[in-house]
Amino acid sequence: MSAASFTARRGLATRAVLYAILVLFAVVYLMPLYVMLTTSFKTLEEIHQGNMLALPGEWTLDPWREAWGSACIGLECNGVHGYFFNSIKIVVPAVLISGLLGAFNGYVLTKWKFRGHKIVFGLMLFSCFIPFQIILLPMARVLGILHLANSTGGLVLVHIVYGIGFTTLFFRNFYASFPDELVRAAQLDGAGFFTIFFRILLPASVPIIVVTIIWQFTNVWNDFLFGVSFASGDSAPITVALNNLVNSSTGVKAYNVNMAAAMVAAVPTLIVYILAGKYFLRGLMSGSVKG
Amino acid sequence: MSFLHINNVHKRFGETHVLKGIDIAIEQGDFLVLVGPSGCGKSTLLNMIAGLDSISEGELLLDGRCINDVHPSRRDIAMVFQSYALYPSMTVAGNIGFGLEMRKVPRKQRREAIDRVAKLLQIENLLDRKPGQLSGGQRQRVAMGRALVRDPQLFLFDEPLSNLDAKLRVDMRTEIKQLHQRLGTTIVYVTHDQIEAMTLASRIAVMRGGELQQLGTPQAVYDDPNNLFVAGFMGSPSMNLVKARIVEQDGLPVAQVATEASTLTLPIVRDRDALRDWRDRDVILGLRPEAITDPASANHREGNIHEAELPVALVEPTGADLYVVTTLGGTHVNARMRPGTPLRPGERTRFAFDVSRMVVFDPESERRIRDERVAEATPIGETA
Repeated sequence: MSAASFTARRGLATRAVLYAILVLFAVVYLMPLYVMLTTSFKTLEEIHQGNMLALPGEWTLDPWREAWGSACIGLECNGVHGYFFNSIKIVVPAVLISGLLGAFNGYVLTKWKFRGHKIVFGLMLFSCFIPFQIILLPMARVLGILHLANSTGGLVLVHIVYGIGFTTLFFRNFYASFPDELVRAAQLDGAGFFTIFFRILLPASVPIIVVTIIWQFTNVWNDFLFGVSFASGDSAPITVALNNLVNSSTGVKAYNVNMAAAMVAAVPTLIVYILAGKYFLRGLMSGSVKG
Repeated sequence: MSFLHINNVHKRFGETHVLKGIDIAIEQGDFLVLVGPSGCGKSTLLNMIAGLDSISEGELLLDGRCINDVHPSRRDIAMVFQSYALYPSMTVAGNIGFGLEMRKVPRKQRREAIDRVAKLLQIENLLDRKPGQLSGGQRQRVAMGRALVRDPQLFLFDEPLSNLDAKLRVDMRTEIKQLHQRLGTTIVYVTHDQIEAMTLASRIAVMRGGELQQLGTPQAVYDDPNNLFVAGFMGSPSMNLVKARIVEQDGLPVAQVATEASTLTLPIVRDRDALRDWRDRDVILGLRPEAITDPASANHREGNIHEAELPVALVEPTGADLYVVTTLGGTHVNARMRPGTPLRPGERTRFAFDVSRMVVFDPESERRIRDERVAEATPIGETA
């Protein structure tokens, strides 16, 4: 046997082992999703037969309909759809405003440096390390003073404040490698502070905008602690509703409805990842490697 | 009153004194090149003219108007940056027209101005492209177009050719020169490349360590350097700087240089009066390579040729010229000879020294020793 074919065969063997391991991990990770999906399409009787891994014998959309429109959460039996839209109402402004503020901060911290800009950035960075739990009580007090307690508006504010640290970090690092000469050229061309930001920097920031949207969207959408603390009843986000749905079913546990509701709660982040995922890595890399 | 007047301008960054009182004055239509090694403050000075850096002390006058505190966009100045600084998300047309758009020029007029400049720079077919799709030379043109379209009083160029490859650099250099001749614009141009400075400038300002070393026409700076730094910085291959001693012979000062075996005596033609005072003292002689030739190539008409036979240490043919290296005063000396002169290291040959082009420096202060006179290029000042 020639040396070349030997190394080729060895390469093939390594590759096979590698792929086997990767497939194994993928299966382990996908298993819960598979169980959730199949369960959500089964009838309760079938679930009670106990074969968790089997495909549904009889496909049904009823659990999804029920989860969306008529499942009981607490005393109301309207499904999760109201809470789904609550989450949308929280996520969209929270992501947009915190992203825009972060972009502004990054712009000022890199292109309009002022005395003490490093300290300001350091403090903003520090806010990324503050655990959720610590700010619950002071934040509740602040929301009370602002008359925003128990409202989606209050949650939007909480998420903006909490997100600014991260979005500033992202945009500052991105703009740090953005050439200063462009800003100077625009100044000579007669562009002002905001024109330079909106016309020159922002259009060139697509990768970092995508990173920020993914990061903020998943964080805000998946948040439970702030939601359960600062918004109750009708203004709760879907994560809180899901929790209440699972806990408030009486008698028989409607696993299929629970799974369907959980899928409804998970779909938006999945969509964001699928649509924007390929920019995600690119954007994370672009700050570290120049050019 | 000169067109651009830099009057005793200082720049300090905290404790560091970056520019230590720069005085430069140029006329309308001048092509001023600021040249010097990196860190000499030339880019800082340019940024100060542009208004991108503040002025710590002194005055900046453009066409009689003090522009110290005028915002960059209102100085009527356009700048071409080293990295071109094209706006990545805009088309070429958008890039060129941005300055006009900011100045609220109507769309139709803007379009006409863009087309005019595009035609001038031959980039009409690129107007709809994005900067990312352009080559280095094309980007350079767009950057120039962006400056030209506004028709400003003053153009600033910050090392615009340093990102191009050698061939393109020479082509663009010619183009910039043609553009200057055709449009008659006033330009301030920064470079660390002395050849670029020589070929482009109508006035050169040589800078070092935040101080102006010499301001003058390229020829004056080349032939009549103020000090050892300017002499060594301008010209390639650089000026030969040789240790010598001034002695008196027949009532006239002459320079004595040690060769390998004996002493070479060179008569002094230039700055004779000043050098009388330097009798029996050490000096440094400056001789351009082209002032040391083979006897046949020497310019005998003026009668200032002094010949001597010296050993050849090294021969460097460049095609156009033959550089012959010999040893004088303990250092290697470059002589420019006719190509094809059959010479080999170790041989002796006759060298012809054009002593009328010889300049003499004080080894201590490194300043030029020259007769007192009102020269065309006074060292630092406002003769222009």
